[in-house]
Amino acid sequence: MTVEEQVREIIARITRVDKSIITRESTFKEIKADSLDVVQALVAVEETFGIEIPDEEAQKFQNFGDFVSYVENRVAQKEKV
Amino acid sequence: MTRNGRIRVAVDAMGGDYAPEEIVKGAVLAARKGDVEIFLVGTANVLEKELAKHKFAANGSSIHIVGASEFIKENESPVDVIRRKPNCSVAVAAKMVKSGEADALFSAGSSGAAAISAIQFIGMVDGVYRPALVGSLGSFAPNTVMVDLGANVDCKPYQFLAFAIAGSVYAKKFLNISDPKIALLSTGSEESKGNDAVREAYALLKNSGLNFVGNIEGSDILNGKANVIVCDGFVGNVILKFYESIGSHAQVWIEGKLSKYPPVRVLVRLLFRRLFPATKISGETEKQGGGILWGVDGVVKIAHGASRAPQIAIAIESAKEAVKAGVVESLKSELTKFNQGGKL
Repeated sequence: MTVEEQVREIIARITRVDKSIITRESTFKEIKADSLDVVQALVAVEETFGIEIPDEEAQKFQNFGDFVSYVENRVAQKEKV
Repeated sequence: MTRNGRIRVAVDAMGGDYAPEEIVKGAVLAARKGDVEIFLVGTANVLEKELAKHKFAANGSSIHIVGASEFIKENESPVDVIRRKPNCSVAVAAKMVKSGEADALFSAGSSGAAAISAIQFIGMVDGVYRPALVGSLGSFAPNTVMVDLGANVDCKPYQFLAFAIAGSVYAKKFLNISDPKIALLSTGSEESKGNDAVREAYALLKNSGLNFVGNIEGSDILNGKANVIVCDGFVGNVILKFYESIGSHAQVWIEGKLSKYPPVRVLVRLLFRRLFPATKISGETEKQGGGILWGVDGVVKIAHGASRAPQIAIAIESAKEAVKAGVVESLKSELTKFNQGGKL
């Protein structure tokens, strides 16, 4: 399963939306995720991939695609190390 | 579940307008009754000093102190519990429930922080997305409960179904109603009335197998048409506070009308003192020292921040009774029926 698929599954599970509606362009507002959903998703992603996502970075995510790209980069960096 | 036959309650000793003084005092009052074991969670040296004031030894037989280096302050976001302060007092208390070290959590601190700690560190029962507050309407409608009373301001349609099930368990367990009538609060009785969430919820409730009697309007709240009135937490909280204020406003209005007749005015004042509690939604007020967060996979009791020691003691007692009554197990059992049918 790719990073994108795993992140999509995590968000779909937390927000209880069908994962098929989450596209790279979807905003958290569009999938009706509130601030608690977002924080729970961040924690779940951090635990799944063993990475840290600082709040200042998380605040820059405009949509699901931004979130996934950030996680993909961090996972790639971690694998290099 | 219990140790030495006593229910164990983890108390967020740092949460509340008068914490830790009144929380510790309330815990001592509850502990002196002898059938509850209390874990005061917070800054250890502060709590030890507070306990000493009551000549109650820390870590004696019924009160223990559990250290937590941080706590959630009034101006902090409840969400901070998860990422910034995962070891704050309310979070540590929630983790104790999850690990089985405690049977219930009690907090008079930020309701949001308590709810988020419960969601994140205890978890929800299967089929429930977020916790809800349920309360009975008291004297004017003794066989009616409302849910949600404020825990969920914005709701998704399937949450209304979980609210209905929680309300139904409450009505069966605490009001002894065997097959509660469930209604959705809307702007009209027709199926097409209400906002998008309410209309979608109508369809879910109609096909739920619950004793759903349709929509009711605000004018039906007190007439007994429903035993469980389902609404989102925004509407529920507005109604709760309006309802609780009716008595005092009516008193002022009537006393004003009777200003020329002082003896009658005094009688009215006395009468209202007796009647005033009638407009308190009983499940969530002083009588029980707060409310249970329904849907959490453990008993979580929250109380008003302004609670003093007597209310704290009542709330701890009430958390103990909720554990004894098996409210979580009853809710799980009801929800299992719906989960098996794929309705939640």
